[in-house]
Amino acid sequence: MTTLTLAKALNEGLRRSMEDDSKVLVMGEDVGKLGGVFRVTDGLQKDFGEDRVIDTPLAESGIIGTAIGLALRGYRPVCEIQFDGFVFPAADQLITQLAKMPLRSLGKVRLPVVVRIPFGGGIGAVEHHSESPEAYFTHTAGLRVVACSNPADAYTMIQDAVRCDDPIIFFEPKRRYWDKAEVDLMAAGVPLDRARVVRQGSDVTLLAYGPMVKTCIEAAGAAEQEGRSLEVIDLRSLSPLDMDVVAGSVERTGRCVVVHEAPVFTGFGAELAARISERCFYHLESPVLRVGGFSTPYPPSRLEDHYLPDLDRVLDAVDRAFTY
Amino acid sequence: MTEPAATLVRLPRAADEDLDLLLLIRHFELALLDLFGRGELNGTTHTCVGQEYVPVALRRLLGETDYVFSNHRGHGHYLARFDDPEGLLAEIMGREGAVCNGVGGSQHILRDRYVSTGVQGESLPVATGAALHLKRTAPGALACVYIGDGTWGEGAVYEALNLASLWRLPLLIVVEHNGIAQSTPTARQMAGTVRSRAQAFGVRHHGIETSDLNAIRHELAPLVAEVRFEGRPLVVEFVTHRLGPHSKGDDTRPPEVVEHARARDWYGLYAEAHPEQFARADEAQRARVAAIVQDVSARPLSGWDPCA
Repeated sequence: MTTLTLAKALNEGLRRSMEDDSKVLVMGEDVGKLGGVFRVTDGLQKDFGEDRVIDTPLAESGIIGTAIGLALRGYRPVCEIQFDGFVFPAADQLITQLAKMPLRSLGKVRLPVVVRIPFGGGIGAVEHHSESPEAYFTHTAGLRVVACSNPADAYTMIQDAVRCDDPIIFFEPKRRYWDKAEVDLMAAGVPLDRARVVRQGSDVTLLAYGPMVKTCIEAAGAAEQEGRSLEVIDLRSLSPLDMDVVAGSVERTGRCVVVHEAPVFTGFGAELAARISERCFYHLESPVLRVGGFSTPYPPSRLEDHYLPDLDRVLDAVDRAFTY
Repeated sequence: MTEPAATLVRLPRAADEDLDLLLLIRHFELALLDLFGRGELNGTTHTCVGQEYVPVALRRLLGETDYVFSNHRGHGHYLARFDDPEGLLAEIMGREGAVCNGVGGSQHILRDRYVSTGVQGESLPVATGAALHLKRTAPGALACVYIGDGTWGEGAVYEALNLASLWRLPLLIVVEHNGIAQSTPTARQMAGTVRSRAQAFGVRHHGIETSDLNAIRHELAPLVAEVRFEGRPLVVEFVTHRLGPHSKGDDTRPPEVVEHARARDWYGLYAEAHPEQFARADEAQRARVAAIVQDVSARPLSGWDPCA
């Protein structure tokens, strides 16, 4: 076991992927010499060379498009989008080409492209640097969308993503980059498309992914002192969605609260709430409740603590789940 | 660029093989318009009537290891790459034997190293990536991408030009400048010129104003060789004419503009210059396409198993 930050775990995972397969490339803005704004690609260019760790111009559409062209015959590019809010210039390539080409060719063309996106707030940055755009991509058929929440998962999930033959949007919880944990560098980890129960409980199911997993674990700890037992599920994969783990939990607890940083309105939680009501209707003691950001642009950094869901807002929703 | 007076000059004789292909594409496109008129086709399509000579001229300059990225007006590009009018018509009609099982339709074809997409400009960054791939794994091969004059309004074009020039990639950008972007004439949608835009990125530009296949090949052969072997991306701008509508029934041009284009159509010019060779080939390709239409129309609908 080794103690790693989440950023370093990703770095180690990428390094191992590059060692295992010479077709793996890393490309993006400032990923080479600088090692990325969050140092996730630190040292990779030095060790693997400028041909495999490519510093690109500021051109998100060009980066993703080039990656598609490289992937058409054998390369496995890992693209970094520097901040969540910078992904939109690449939307055309992601939605119209990357997601659709494999489907249109009936799977004859595989595009093993990983698009890494640091997402979410909590680091005192501004809008365009603190957003949670996951629902745009889960809405797009043909893309896998995953989010890691801790160093051990980050290490295995990035390697699994690189090995996967499908295009993947890989969300990294920006404010958890510096969280440390023990990582088993030899472990295989939970499969990429599986959710994981990270804390068992019996009264309410908390569903989260990325940065909110830690918030939910803390909320469950606080609730325990008040005599409530909360189960916390880290979804890990948003698309495809592991509904068996979700439904298995909600059918036991009868109550569910979904937590994400993205705005509640038509956020990913809306899909979860709808699916749970469809599948677990007769087990539910209360409606599925959602905790998330507000329908505003991401606020100035001094206000972000008011915007982001925290322990109190999660526990408030848990309380409300018992009022029905 | 200026009006192509050269196209009014008597066209020299073309090889039978080239003329057959020109006429195959012409009759294929006319057949599509006819099928649409009779309600036999679904969706939409864009025909390249008037522009057939561009991919036919380039055919001899491209090889099997080269990539071709086509656009919404791509039937000619496909037929110049593959002698497969049956597969293309089946694709457009959603019949058995379709290139992509009928999933792609008129403007989204994937076959070997041929890729088309209808969204303007978005194939350029992908072609750039393919060119980078070729530079590393198959030196001497290139990625060719067809775009139009309207495409130059899209930002993705410039990201790709920058990357291709910066990384010295074997990228050949073929511009079919037909003077009109759907319904908007070039003068209303493009500031400056294609040439100056290419040059701003240090990318060479070459203009073609003739539909003489041999002359085009002669001019382009050394330039294309430099794309292949010296990693010098190239923009080739054809001044050409779209005789038909953008899609169907949406031609907003005044009659005199269309007439002007018709007067420069290679089809009429060639028929006038070489009547005997032309008449024979024209009739043969007309009959070939008619037979293909009959064959493909009678086939069952294409199917696919999404779980296969």
